[in-house]
Amino acid sequence: MNENAPATFQLPEQMSTLAPQVDWIYYFIFWLSVVMFVGIVSAMVFFAWKYRERPGHKAEPTGHNMTLEIGWTIAPVFVLVFMFHKGFEGYLNLSVAPANSMIVKVNAKQWAWEFVYPNGGSSDELHVPVHQPIKLVMDSADVIHSFYVPALRVKRDVVPGMFSMVWFEATHVGHDDIFCAEYCGGRSTGPGGTELPYAPSDDPLHPYIAGQATGHWSMHSMLYVESKEDFDKFLKSIGDPCDAYVNAGKDCPLKVAADQGAKLAQSKGCVACHTTTGARLVGPSWKGIFGKQESTDKGGVSVDEAYIKESILDPNAKIVTGYQGVMPTFRGQISDAELDEITAYIKSLKD
Amino acid sequence: MAAVDMPVAGGHAEDSHGDPHAPYLKAKSGIGSWLFTLDHKRIGLMYLAFVALAFLVGGVFALLVRLELFTRGRTIMDGETYNRFFTLHGAAMVFLFIIPSVPASLGNFFLPIMIGAKDVAFPRLNLLSFYVYLLGVAVLLFAIVSGAVDTGWTFYTPYSMQTGASVIAMTMGVFILGFSSILTGLNFLVTVHTMRAPGVTWTRLPLFVWGMYATALMQILATPVLAITLLLLSAERFFGVGIFDPKLGGDPVLFQHFFWFYSHPAVYIMIVPGMAVNSELIATFTRRSIFGYFAVAMSSLGLALLGFLVWGHHLFVAGMSEFATMMFSALTFLVAIPSGVKIFNWTATIYKGSVVLASPMLYAMAFIFLFTIGGLTGLFLGTLSTDVHLTDTYFVVAHFHYVMMGGTVIAFLGGLLYWWPKMTGKMHDEKKAKVGFWFTFIGFNVVFMPQFIMGSRGMPRRYYDYLPQFEIFHKVSTVGTWILAIGLFTTAYTLLEALFRGQTAPRNPWGSAGFEWMTDTPPCLANFHETPVITRGPYDYHLATPEELDTGWDKVKAQAQAKKD
Repeated sequence: MNENAPATFQLPEQMSTLAPQVDWIYYFIFWLSVVMFVGIVSAMVFFAWKYRERPGHKAEPTGHNMTLEIGWTIAPVFVLVFMFHKGFEGYLNLSVAPANSMIVKVNAKQWAWEFVYPNGGSSDELHVPVHQPIKLVMDSADVIHSFYVPALRVKRDVVPGMFSMVWFEATHVGHDDIFCAEYCGGRSTGPGGTELPYAPSDDPLHPYIAGQATGHWSMHSMLYVESKEDFDKFLKSIGDPCDAYVNAGKDCPLKVAADQGAKLAQSKGCVACHTTTGARLVGPSWKGIFGKQESTDKGGVSVDEAYIKESILDPNAKIVTGYQGVMPTFRGQISDAELDEITAYIKSLKD
Repeated sequence: MAAVDMPVAGGHAEDSHGDPHAPYLKAKSGIGSWLFTLDHKRIGLMYLAFVALAFLVGGVFALLVRLELFTRGRTIMDGETYNRFFTLHGAAMVFLFIIPSVPASLGNFFLPIMIGAKDVAFPRLNLLSFYVYLLGVAVLLFAIVSGAVDTGWTFYTPYSMQTGASVIAMTMGVFILGFSSILTGLNFLVTVHTMRAPGVTWTRLPLFVWGMYATALMQILATPVLAITLLLLSAERFFGVGIFDPKLGGDPVLFQHFFWFYSHPAVYIMIVPGMAVNSELIATFTRRSIFGYFAVAMSSLGLALLGFLVWGHHLFVAGMSEFATMMFSALTFLVAIPSGVKIFNWTATIYKGSVVLASPMLYAMAFIFLFTIGGLTGLFLGTLSTDVHLTDTYFVVAHFHYVMMGGTVIAFLGGLLYWWPKMTGKMHDEKKAKVGFWFTFIGFNVVFMPQFIMGSRGMPRRYYDYLPQFEIFHKVSTVGTWILAIGLFTTAYTLLEALFRGQTAPRNPWGSAGFEWMTDTPPCLANFHETPVITRGPYDYHLATPEELDTGWDKVKAQAQAKKD
């Protein structure tokens, strides 16, 4: 499936393994529509000309043709079922990330993107290695945004208060635009109500200029698909974010959060059932659990931010195989910030 | 036709409102005769004036929004103003114009006449619905003046929680407008059930009435949900109850479910009346009964039913379960069937008809042309994997404009030209009407065809600015709005010129067999001098008498000749 096509008149370049499948069904519907449209409109125009009002011509009273009527009611159903099936197939492929995906956390806010990589480093443009499934775990700090990369054919809303997921595997080195596709407001005035300047740039990689009027339209970033070597270089360049803090003699925010999470695990009573040593108590141990694939009573899950959050707020949603659903919900007893801290703590408990 | 005793419509005494046999425009005069009228025809005209005004306002916003997009960067306004203008364009067009457009104006005027009734069942409720509409308009105007709303017409949370407070005034306006819509719907349902003249059986009901009936059902069942949603939004805003706001444990996607549970049926509240008008136009100008009358009537009800089951297709990328997504996609495809049935039946009606290419028929054919594009592009959006790529891009913008404007607005204009002589007693200039048509039709396609292409190429919607690769499409689209505006203004001029200086129209200028053409032009206050007894269907040209089908143009010409001599 990797014979990816360049941009056509209607569709942008294909850069993901999913794109050829999406485009196939797109063109299937397109040509079907062309045939239907030309058929209907030419019949209409031809009839209107052939049966035009003129002396000696009279309309024929309308009769019945049950076969024809039932025919054009039933026949489309087969085509519709086929289209539905193809579309659903593609959607399922988009919904299920491969187990070996690299997880990148996406933070959206008005009006910028932030991408956090497995090594803890972050950037405001998304760099990914080619031929590697990437799973984006996305969250918004304010209103609803939507992550959209045309060349990947993926789009997913980023909703505050929940983690949404999208995955892709880039097929070749290159770059494309990242857009926000869900309207999220805008600002044209700075502090004190002064009007901010606005003039977009002609640089295709940086079309909008910082410090100017900004909004939904300028919540733009770039996706860079790189070779494995280039991507490793990139990861090194953003480094372990704690290094910079430690070198400056300050506390690392990630570590602070994890420490805070450790305290919460005590005060909320988590440690009564979950060890941090790998030993089994009433619930699974936290040691090394982050990023692992677990089997549950609802099927396999990968333990990520969304699953941890769900397991705290709605513990019986997916119970890891071999354990009983005895944990009470913490909904209403734990804030969003505390959830993040506990998650940071669990993340820090590596094997 | 025999005279039959009929209950006096709504129990109001006709005498205090003027002579039931005088033309309705002359039965009484003075400003009070309009403000307090219970006559469904006058109420229809007053509605028409206001929805036309709303269309003008919404249209001016559209022109400004498109003008801003003519160049990259700032063209005429800043980003915040742009966000307000596209919101006002959407809100004015959806809530003030297109939802009331056909039902409240043409429906009010013609539904009672088409079933041989003197008025609607509840004339006072009818007048109340008009004033409730005006109140809604006033509240919306207040919201605009007090600091315009910039949420888009969909008011999605949590953005609508965060932005300026006038969003509550705006939703309150929409809330009030909903009641107007419910009252009209209720009135139509009761009227169709109880006030049909002898011989107007359900199988002889004009397809326009069937369409109004289906629309009324949706208005009554769906609008309360919008009201509840907007009340919850206000409660959230003022009391922080935590339904939609994630900070309080609410779910912003829940708002989208609530909103589209109304607004998807509302899409059918908008398009079914357009289809209803189109069936009348096609029958009259092909001089034959609509092919598959029963299927066309039932497809309106089918759309009304399906309209309630597909709201989730607006949320395919918003965060629904895969199972719900699958169900909504499957149900959405079902919509194609009743829509297809209508298109096929209209085309089959033209076959072996006697086609008169008068201006309303041009609009009817344009409806088939444009609605087919609107419907077929819906297939791309019902199909899940292509929807993921196309949703929230200009492809969607083009798609729903092909349905709403290419469908409903085109049918509305066709219906206005068709019924203008009956409503005003004056005939318009066909040449000007056709010039207006061609500018409208061509301009419309120039505006929206490029939007499909830039959408499928990845241009997101509701963007104040865009990347250089989309510039050419935006330019062409904006030029299209100017062509479209010329067409619409020409049509408006044609209608107003007819109203003030038009030739007196005969009783049945188009030679239609429809029931509404059997009465005077313009109709008398009581619609018919005596209750009609109907012995054939509204499209039975082969059963109609030559007198019924007589256009009356010979007489008009003879009179004009006599005047000259």
